[in-house]
Amino acid sequence: MQMGRAKERMAHLRGVLEPLLATRKRFSRTVPVAAEINACLPNAGLPLGCIHEVKGMPLASGIAFASILASRIPASAGRIVFIAPDQTLHPLGLLPMGMEIERLVHVCAKRPADIAWAALEALRCHQVGAVLAVTQSADLTLCRRFQLAAEKSGATGFLLTDAAAKAGAPIASAISRWKVTAIPSPSRAVFHEPCWEIDLVYCRSGSPASWRMAWKQDQLELLSPRTIPQPNGLPVRLTGHPQFLTG
Amino acid sequence: MSRRILCLFFPRFTIDRLEQEDERWIDRPLAIVREEARHLYVASVNAMAWKTGVRIGDRVADARAVQPDLRIVLEDPDGDERLQEKLVAWCDRYSPLVAVNGPDGIVLDITGCAHLFGGEAALCQQIETKVRSMRFQVRAAIADTLGAAWALARFSQKRIVVQEELEKALEDLPVSGLRILPETIGALERVGIQTIGQLQRIPRDSLAPRYGAELLLRLDQALGKVPEPVTPYRLPRPYRCGQTFAEPIGTTTAVEYVLLHLLTTLCTRLEKEHRGARQFTLLCFRVDNSVAVVEVRTSKPSRSITHLMRLFSEKMSSLDAGFGIETMVLQARDVDGVMPVQLFLPHCGDAIEADASFEELLDRLALRLGFSAVCRLQIHESFLPELSTSFVPVTNEVSANAAWPHYRLRPVRLYEKPVPIAVSEIFPDELPVRMRIGSQMHQIVRAEGPERLAPEWWRSQKDSFLWRDYYRIENEGGLRFWIFRETTESSLPRWFLHGQLA
Repeated sequence: MQMGRAKERMAHLRGVLEPLLATRKRFSRTVPVAAEINACLPNAGLPLGCIHEVKGMPLASGIAFASILASRIPASAGRIVFIAPDQTLHPLGLLPMGMEIERLVHVCAKRPADIAWAALEALRCHQVGAVLAVTQSADLTLCRRFQLAAEKSGATGFLLTDAAAKAGAPIASAISRWKVTAIPSPSRAVFHEPCWEIDLVYCRSGSPASWRMAWKQDQLELLSPRTIPQPNGLPVRLTGHPQFLTG
Repeated sequence: MSRRILCLFFPRFTIDRLEQEDERWIDRPLAIVREEARHLYVASVNAMAWKTGVRIGDRVADARAVQPDLRIVLEDPDGDERLQEKLVAWCDRYSPLVAVNGPDGIVLDITGCAHLFGGEAALCQQIETKVRSMRFQVRAAIADTLGAAWALARFSQKRIVVQEELEKALEDLPVSGLRILPETIGALERVGIQTIGQLQRIPRDSLAPRYGAELLLRLDQALGKVPEPVTPYRLPRPYRCGQTFAEPIGTTTAVEYVLLHLLTTLCTRLEKEHRGARQFTLLCFRVDNSVAVVEVRTSKPSRSITHLMRLFSEKMSSLDAGFGIETMVLQARDVDGVMPVQLFLPHCGDAIEADASFEELLDRLALRLGFSAVCRLQIHESFLPELSTSFVPVTNEVSANAAWPHYRLRPVRLYEKPVPIAVSEIFPDELPVRMRIGSQMHQIVRAEGPERLAPEWWRSQKDSFLWRDYYRIENEGGLRFWIFRETTESSLPRWFLHGQLA
């Protein structure tokens, strides 16, 4: 008797788990982010072939974080397309994040409609690995089209917003939403190791959390809470590398 | 019918070219020099230099001793050839068979053309006058053979020589008129043979072993016993095809149908020649004698009909047919070679897809957003932030990126124009303490620097500053900026915000 009911329950559970397993297969391609962050993501990594939203406060931090993730996508997946309303991106600032400049193509589109069109076209191309688009908001239909294009071609889209975006109109239907805020660095750190508070606001099949991390050379390391200093008067002069060279 | 060859001789082609480019050289001594065995020798001189005693074959040091103001120009055979090709293309109006003949000559085959210009004498006169009006020194001669015309143009006063007079005209010309090597000429002169007539009287069997077969060949070519055809310089056929209609058309479907047909013709021709083109222009000639132009450009040379059709259809909406289109012409420019792509392996099932989808994406983006909007990033050898990187449109070639030293940190975002800010420092030339951007005050908590960058003295700068001291600063909230203090000659140092760090 009990065995019969147990078998029923097992069959029922299997029926429930089946579609979830399909989800796991869909997000089987991932890139690792950091040891602590991977624990909160499905399949222990950021899923590829879908859309993510990265809100940067300021925008430069969001761009840096997204380029860390995009540069981890293997080169065989394709090129990286960066779409922005102006040409303020300075590629030398992305070199410490591991970005290869030869892989990058920059598209400057002034109107939001053009940015959306360019992002969609780029996501549809099979030879594109990642698309980073600086956009303020995207409505449900547009996001759905982005998502379908990304799934079909295998490209990963990062929609970058900044503080100017309205809080009430986020990017709908993104697989994960991140918020990257610049925080004061520990006193011994240098500008080579930018510090951020990375907030995983939402992730499908994952758990939201937030971490304070520093980018050290080629990985994100957790900051211990004690090392966040308090400002007290005069600025601390950090001795970086001697740079008294004429350009 | 025997052939008639016209030979043009330019005694000082390079000098004329330089004097045309820059008129000042007509009155100043100028010499073209050639490098030979690690010395520079004078190859040709202009009239002023000749007057002051510089001669061809002198060493440049000797020439300078004679004429200290002498201007020396190294010979440029490529530049000369390009100008010669232009002249050859101009001579096309006299005969279709025109060719370059050495660095100082042009040859035309005018068999059957002379009567169109009023006879051979008139033709000769006309060519000479026209070329002289282009400020070249020139001498023309007409004969039955290339060799004879060559010799006559250079060494004789006679202009036109008919077939019967050929041998007699050549008799008194020197042996150097036979286009042989200087060593052979020297050897002949040493034994006393100075004219072609003397050469002809010597038995042939004794000439060949002593002076080589080339001498006999040239002699026979000059006398017409061995043929020497003129290989014409052909301009490449333009990549163009057109269609005229019996009735003017005006609908989009009709235009697209004809465009597809024209594209197919042009692309099959390109495919046969293993070439592609970067610029395709569609000209629609309307009934009211106006032209509507639609232009499409690609980043890589392309001959893919589907891709080009897609690019054209995006622009079709801007085409205005007016009262009707009578003729449509499709032109391809900027034609380049394209590597042939293997489309499929026999005995294998799948077709290898030509990997052009990324280039096609770039073309579509560039067509809608503008060709300067889609760019690759190029790193240059410079530390100044404005000059270290540039956005290069994908249609242009991009060269290898310069290596960037890892310890020189740069911001992720660089503002196009530095924003003036107000900064207070405890001591001048020391670290900044407080900063005001716009109306927001920032307390500076951490700073690194200064990195002193001065303008590159080998470049002329519009905004000249003495130097800029760049600082990386962090405010109490954690925002990181890249600011600089600019020191100029005339005013006090000012602070600016240039970028945002990660």
